[in-house]
Amino acid sequence: MASNAVVLFDESEMIRFRRMTVIWGITALVLLPILALLGYFMRLFQSGAFPQIRPEWFYAVLTLHSLGMVGTWFVGAMAGVSFLLLKYTRPSLAVSKFSFWGTLLGVVLLIVCTLGGLFGTGWYFLYPLPLMSQGVWQPWATLTFFIALAILGVCWTVWTLDILRSIAQRYSLRAALGLNYVFGEPGPEVPPLVLITTVSLIVGVAGFVAAVIVIALFAARALGVNVDPLLMKNLTFFFGHILVNITMYLGVAMVYELLPTYAGRPWKTNRVVAIAWDAVLFLILFAYFHHLYMDFAQPQWVQRFGQICSYGLAVPAGVVSIFGTLALVYAARMRWTLASTLLFLGIMGWGIGGIAAVIDSTVEVNSHFHNTLWVPAHFHTYYLMGVVLMILGFIDHAGKEISGLEENPRRSKLTVILLLIGGYGFLSMFFWAGAHSVPRRYAIYPLEVAQGTEYARIAVLFITVLLLGVLLYLWETGRRCLKALSA
Amino acid sequence: MRRDSSVKPPRSRTMRPGLVVFVLALAALAQAQQSFGVPSNQPPNEDFYVYKQIPDVAIETGASTAMRLSKIWSEKPLLLTMVFTRCAGVCSAFLRSLRAAVSDAQGLGQDYRIVVLSFDPRDTTDDMEMVAESLGVKLDPNWIFAISSAAGIRQVAAASGFWFQWDPSAQQYDHPSLVEAIDRGRVVRMLAGTNVPRASLREVIQELRGRFVPSYALAGKVAFRCFEYDPNRDAYRLDWGLLFMLLPATSAVLAVVWAFFLHRESPPKPYDSSSALIR
Repeated sequence: MASNAVVLFDESEMIRFRRMTVIWGITALVLLPILALLGYFMRLFQSGAFPQIRPEWFYAVLTLHSLGMVGTWFVGAMAGVSFLLLKYTRPSLAVSKFSFWGTLLGVVLLIVCTLGGLFGTGWYFLYPLPLMSQGVWQPWATLTFFIALAILGVCWTVWTLDILRSIAQRYSLRAALGLNYVFGEPGPEVPPLVLITTVSLIVGVAGFVAAVIVIALFAARALGVNVDPLLMKNLTFFFGHILVNITMYLGVAMVYELLPTYAGRPWKTNRVVAIAWDAVLFLILFAYFHHLYMDFAQPQWVQRFGQICSYGLAVPAGVVSIFGTLALVYAARMRWTLASTLLFLGIMGWGIGGIAAVIDSTVEVNSHFHNTLWVPAHFHTYYLMGVVLMILGFIDHAGKEISGLEENPRRSKLTVILLLIGGYGFLSMFFWAGAHSVPRRYAIYPLEVAQGTEYARIAVLFITVLLLGVLLYLWETGRRCLKALSA
Repeated sequence: MRRDSSVKPPRSRTMRPGLVVFVLALAALAQAQQSFGVPSNQPPNEDFYVYKQIPDVAIETGASTAMRLSKIWSEKPLLLTMVFTRCAGVCSAFLRSLRAAVSDAQGLGQDYRIVVLSFDPRDTTDDMEMVAESLGVKLDPNWIFAISSAAGIRQVAAASGFWFQWDPSAQQYDHPSLVEAIDRGRVVRMLAGTNVPRASLREVIQELRGRFVPSYALAGKVAFRCFEYDPNRDAYRLDWGLLFMLLPATSAVLAVVWAFFLHRESPPKPYDSSSALIR
């Protein structure tokens, strides 16, 4: 409820900041259908629809789709959090603009190296694969890819530091981390938005630095220094896991801030919330070990510790947030709009995907599931039906607030129904295929796992429904955002 | 009839420089055929060649007139090694070591075949058959002794880091001993050394069978290792590379210090709320 909101902007500044947020929102809405169509292409490819196209295209598209989606929703979440933080702090508009242009440049370079150069390593660009293309892509594509990563990394690090700086202008570290709640001491009221954003962005810095080290070590390898692949994999997944996780946390932070306005009830930081989110600060540093269970050279105690931290990471923040959401909504005079419905469903989707993730982070299970479609199943669940819905909810909320255009309830309802049926139908085919040993990262399924082709065909039908929902959402929300741009 | 020795026939004058060039060219060509690559005391680094495509060169065996390497690897994976028949050094010992290791690993003919390719253009198929006979595998169709053109030899050598250097004083080649495991035309593993360790070849054969063989680069081959495995204690210890893993968290701490302690100014004063849009 933001009871401690203060006014930090004059009207013209505020209008400029809102416009920038709308631009970020429109950018995400433009990228969403493009990147979704790339995913559609991949499932069509796996269903045997394009026998004449080389599999190299599948991997190039896979790389662009995964990096594009992760990047789009990260900047979407950052833009959303920046906007909501305006009630409490004063982030820099110039830095937001700098990040925007840097992100655009990075995205263009990613498109060039993947679709133009067939760079197809997947998002994780696992060492030394980018340097060993076997002629599939040229060295320029690898160079372009790393330049794109470097640009994105610099822009996002600066943006992250700026938001941390803006929080620090108003809150002490102790307050921003909610430590007064943890120790039961008097202190300033700290909204969950500030607490979760602070925790997320502190670890975000660590993630981006890991990416910088990875790029530097790739450069060292290009100069002839052999680098330990195990170190590179640790650093890569440390970065990747953190980037994806903080995107979700920032989405959850927006829900903490926005959902109470629809429920008519406050959702304040308390001791349990503070402890749960502060625990994330520590646990997230080690949870990524679950990506390396297959790496036998990593000592077993590391793997076990990774499992414990994965459980620990999912349970406090997840349970507290999901329980909090349900408690907030229960018996409340809820205003169920498109925005509030998407925010609510996003939290639930995060929970469902989280359960699948916890299952997969168990060493014994992971040894069976690791290379199957179960993995894309769980991360698509907490991404597509989790944080993406949260951010779409935010964009709709902001677009409506700024433009003043009301929504069409029937269209909103239809949008949600299509998104749910299409989204969960599409995901269920991933889960089903994973449970039936269909491997991931296969462009074409060999005879031994030919059932994967059938599951892909069914998934294509659900994706079609999902895309209809996306198009309806874009029509409904897009026009509000366009109006907001001129507001 | 006397000949004026001071006057040389015009033809000889024009022929002599041409002859010299021809002889030099022949010598250069012979030298080019006899040496390839950069000699080194170190064996070829497997990391640089693994998964590389072996050129599909034409080879000739005693049994058939000509075929391509792909004809063999399209049927079964293969072990490829390069020797020369006049070798007074390591080649015979190496081949015997390979034969013993193959016998230990088993599966020859069922899971893979062996191609012994001469890198000396002077070798003939008859020469190679004599080597097969002396090794006692002449009648085994899974041992294929072959020759190739000078260009073909260089292509295969380039794809696997193999080199050979002609030593005129010893009238011998200096060269490493190498066996490459090739699956569908790509290098899967490489073993270098004058002997073929049985345990190592067993691992290689397992890979050719499509089974997973754990491996971690040996100490000294890579920089910044995370862990070191002590086979005597069957235990891991931390290594220096792990320090890189501390950098991200350290940077995050520094960022916090910068934002919350060094850069912090007094909190901004609110504007007059009557002119504000925030509700």
